[in-house]
Amino acid sequence: MARLEDIPQPTRDAVVAAPCPAFDTQPFVVGPPLAQRRMAIISSAALIRRGEKPFPFDSAECRFLPASAPAGDILISHVSINFDRAGFQRDLNVVYPIDRLRELAAEGVISGVAETNYTVMGSTDPAAMTMTADQIAGQLRQERIDSILLSPV
Amino acid sequence: MCTRAVCALAHMLEERGFSTVAIASVRAQAEKTRPPRALWTTSQLGRPLGEPGDAPYQRRVLLAALDLLGRTDGPVILDDFIEDPPGWQDAPDWRAPPLVESGELLETPDSWAAAFGAELSALLPLWRTAQARFGRTTVGLSFQAPTAWPRFAARFLAGELPAVHELDTPALALRMLSDDIKALYGEAAQAEGPAPSAHQIDLWFWRQTVAGRLLIALRAVAMASENNALKTVGARFFVPTHWLP
Repeated sequence: MARLEDIPQPTRDAVVAAPCPAFDTQPFVVGPPLAQRRMAIISSAALIRRGEKPFPFDSAECRFLPASAPAGDILISHVSINFDRAGFQRDLNVVYPIDRLRELAAEGVISGVAETNYTVMGSTDPAAMTMTADQIAGQLRQERIDSILLSPV
Repeated sequence: MCTRAVCALAHMLEERGFSTVAIASVRAQAEKTRPPRALWTTSQLGRPLGEPGDAPYQRRVLLAALDLLGRTDGPVILDDFIEDPPGWQDAPDWRAPPLVESGELLETPDSWAAAFGAELSALLPLWRTAQARFGRTTVGLSFQAPTAWPRFAARFLAGELPAVHELDTPALALRMLSDDIKALYGEAAQAEGPAPSAHQIDLWFWRQTVAGRLLIALRAVAMASENNALKTVGARFFVPTHWLP
């Protein structure tokens, strides 16, 4: 369904025409074998804990999401109306695959899952997210996380 | 725009010393942003890992993404996961929840509140069934119980700008109310039987329910408002264009 022909207009034209950042560098960090990696998730779904204020519309903030947060406490506060939420209503793993990642850690496919995961408002211009990246990086270092899975909506 | 955001953040975090892999829902945005590693999936927007309740499929997507972390032929690696999710087609055996016929002429705020309230009340048992089935609800953004929704919506239709203490503006309160309404109806639609496609739920919601028509009416009121935030919410963040009548 995320084949372009399956996205309804005018969303289809908007996602194709969206200005994207062009970077001068091409970083590429080669890490340890997968079985030694400790992983975190970053979701762009503007996830919140039940009772928290939703993300403001153009927010560049990052919120920390404890891996221990119960599924029933996690809501989507993303501003966009152009993506499906029915899948998330049935199973949060389609957006935030915390259970799948835990299973891989339990099997030894990866070494572990971070205590803290992260979420941002994915419609915000990424140019505003430099400090967000610094904030996430600081927490990742504290928890000795080396690898990140990023998930859009 | 979320693929753009996760690809850009991947680049920034790789610069800060971490290995990253991004799932890309819109391939064109990954091609332009050029993150260190990305996996494009064919899942519909909002379901980057695939199908709800289909752990084996989600696992295959996840393993394909993690596999890119072991590759050394980058940057830039953009791979495709082209196994379509099994469940995004319409489910012919799905039955939409029955709706009450209120008989109300939807001409005044009070008549909207009455008709929406009647429809909503009739769906609440099914919504509770859904909560038992899935172990949770995603309703909760509006900071209001469903019983308060009809009257709150009617106040906007009457030209008022009601507020909710926990939310910063009436515009945000109305937007979060619309998300809660759609969430409750979406969960009720999935309470029993086979999983409907997202399109089946949307078609039912926007074309058959009072709630869908109410949101379309609220959109018109918001767009005509002198409150700029409300005007923006109505125009851009309320009803998908392809579901407008």
